[in-house]
Amino acid sequence: MVACRFPDERGVVVRVASHKVSLAMAAVALAVTAACGGASGGSSSGSTKPLVIGISLSFSGDFSDPGHAAELGYKLWADQVNKQGGVLGRKVQLKIVDDASSPNQVVTNYQTLISRDKVDLVFGPFSTLLTAPAARVAARYGYAFPEPSGGGPLVFQEKLGNVFFVQPAPVVNCGDPFVSYILSLPPSERPKTAAYPELDDPFAEPIAERARLKFEAAGIKTVFKEVYPPEMSDLTPVVEKMAAAKPDMVFAGTQSDDAYSMVNAMVQLGFSPKFLFQANGANSPVEFPSKVGAKNTEGIFSCGDWFPNSKAPGNQAFIKAYIAKYGGTAADIDSGSAEAYAVGEVVSEVAKKTGKIDNATIIKTLHSGTWPTVEGNLSWDKYGAPNGSTMLTEWIGGKLLPVYPAAVALHPPVIPKPPWGG
Amino acid sequence: MHLVVQAIILGLLTGGVYALMASGLTLAFGVMRVINVAQGAMIVAGAYVSYTLFTDFHIDPFVSIVLMAPAAFAVGVLLQLVFLRPLRSDEREELSLLVTWAIALGIEGVLSVIYTTTYRATLPGYVNDSLTVAGYRIAVVRLVAFGISGVILLLLYLVLHRTRLGRSIRATVQNPTAARLLGVDAERVSAYGFGLSVATATAAGAVFGMVEPFNPGSHYDLISRLLTIVVLGGLGSLTGAVLAALVMGVSEAVLAATISPTWSSLVFFVILIGVLVVRPQGLMGATERGRL
Repeated sequence: MVACRFPDERGVVVRVASHKVSLAMAAVALAVTAACGGASGGSSSGSTKPLVIGISLSFSGDFSDPGHAAELGYKLWADQVNKQGGVLGRKVQLKIVDDASSPNQVVTNYQTLISRDKVDLVFGPFSTLLTAPAARVAARYGYAFPEPSGGGPLVFQEKLGNVFFVQPAPVVNCGDPFVSYILSLPPSERPKTAAYPELDDPFAEPIAERARLKFEAAGIKTVFKEVYPPEMSDLTPVVEKMAAAKPDMVFAGTQSDDAYSMVNAMVQLGFSPKFLFQANGANSPVEFPSKVGAKNTEGIFSCGDWFPNSKAPGNQAFIKAYIAKYGGTAADIDSGSAEAYAVGEVVSEVAKKTGKIDNATIIKTLHSGTWPTVEGNLSWDKYGAPNGSTMLTEWIGGKLLPVYPAAVALHPPVIPKPPWGG
Repeated sequence: MHLVVQAIILGLLTGGVYALMASGLTLAFGVMRVINVAQGAMIVAGAYVSYTLFTDFHIDPFVSIVLMAPAAFAVGVLLQLVFLRPLRSDEREELSLLVTWAIALGIEGVLSVIYTTTYRATLPGYVNDSLTVAGYRIAVVRLVAFGISGVILLLLYLVLHRTRLGRSIRATVQNPTAARLLGVDAERVSAYGFGLSVATATAAGAVFGMVEPFNPGSHYDLISRLLTIVVLGGLGSLTGAVLAALVMGVSEAVLAATISPTWSSLVFFVILIGVLVVRPQGLMGATERGRL
């Protein structure tokens, strides 16, 4: 175990030694400095060298679209910070490499970024699939691993102390606000029966199962539960069977294209439940209406972590900066960009609070307190799972709006769901 | 019972579209002994072109088939000349797998660059309209897609059985050497055969884009289904492909609606294995090179 020492302390040591010993010790000192830089990453205040942050993102393969969205967020944060003089006076330099959506490549990338490129800090990639192996690499080298989108159980099951999922809640908690809202209704307005179509996927099925157990405990009868495989691209047979059970409420554990297919099949079969919640897919402000038709979105619930009109700290400044840099409107901003931007924000906040920007400080500091970001005020448990809650959203008047809990709502929930095309 | 009948209707309509998709695959094998694993990618490419024609130029996806098919035929002929003709005839089946797989990956890459990996769907105004017949809901787009697939398959059948090109193609399928001795230009027939195969793929793509969301990676799932359909029907048999597609569509829909969607794909493979044990050549395949 080598203790790291500050340059001035090292200088004293060198001066009191004889010439030869001095040279030898200077060499050792340099080696120690390098070793410390590599092991703990980053440095404290006082340095003026750039703060190099290594990031692996997907620019090809399945995650290339969200990878690009994250890149925009990271770069925007770096620009904003550098305009204000950098982090503790150090200009931020992003070193972004492509992992082609591959769990193997992402491991190689972070190993290279840390051990060869000796970046000061690392930020996370897109998706749980890539975050889990990447976080292990970062943990091995003692690097903090704030990450924007690895919110699946796999990441937290690793029990790593260096991970911080920079969103309000773990993925499996996505349905919690909807459950709370439904159970807050007077018994006469609550659904009596429920259906649970669930994609066989670690990000979809657990959300629906968690909700089902809570609803059943509250007396809402399950009349349909079906797990469908990811390769099932046409959900009409599932919807036919579900419609025959005539549920008041459908709580769907969906991902993306299956959510679109489900709604289209419901419309074609003329099945419109009083309450419809889709875990994912329906929470995409741009994609969802383009896949199911804008008129068919009305009254569908989903969950979300970020919205253009959210009241989260710094959100309006983020939107203004985003539009100034990339153009478009607030509605065009992918939540993945906001999530990546928030990763940068928490690191900036640590530097502001502690006056340091090394990995050990980031890890230690983020494990306590609450941290303001465009994703809301965040805090984490010891394995990096956020302690907060996502927002319940609903399509109202062609817009996806946060409707619950009341503290973040921009509109009260509208129930029951109107007929299709209404 | 209502659920089962509703599922059978859905299965038949879906199977009709898969029959169109698989027709080109079985044609390519029948004529040239080429196992075209790029068929799925070509269908997805057709879906994207149709999507662009609809969103940017407001051309109805069914109308776009008329525009796309001749262009796709020309592309197919070109692909055959450049990539498949140079293959040695005694190793054509094996090598065609590699070559067409490379074509599939190339198409996927180009589509990913142009359209990104976001899911798309072609949504004309009538896409979610449905009819109620005797209490059963029938989606208009699926009904029309089934009808269009039927018409294209009928046209394909007429081309193969009522035209000089069709006779040449069938002759080449049955006995390439004898066909050549009788003056059939086998190379030209092969090129035209592959052109027809690609044309049916893009036509099927226009229909596919309305029925299911798609992205450049959708071809992996498609080709696995299409290969099993063609094997069940009998490699090289058009009638067999149609029959197998309908069996697949109905069995999957009925099992998904009555038992579980998790089991529906498995049961199709059980049927496939059962048929192959009894009839190794598939439902309609010939034991020797032959029928199309």
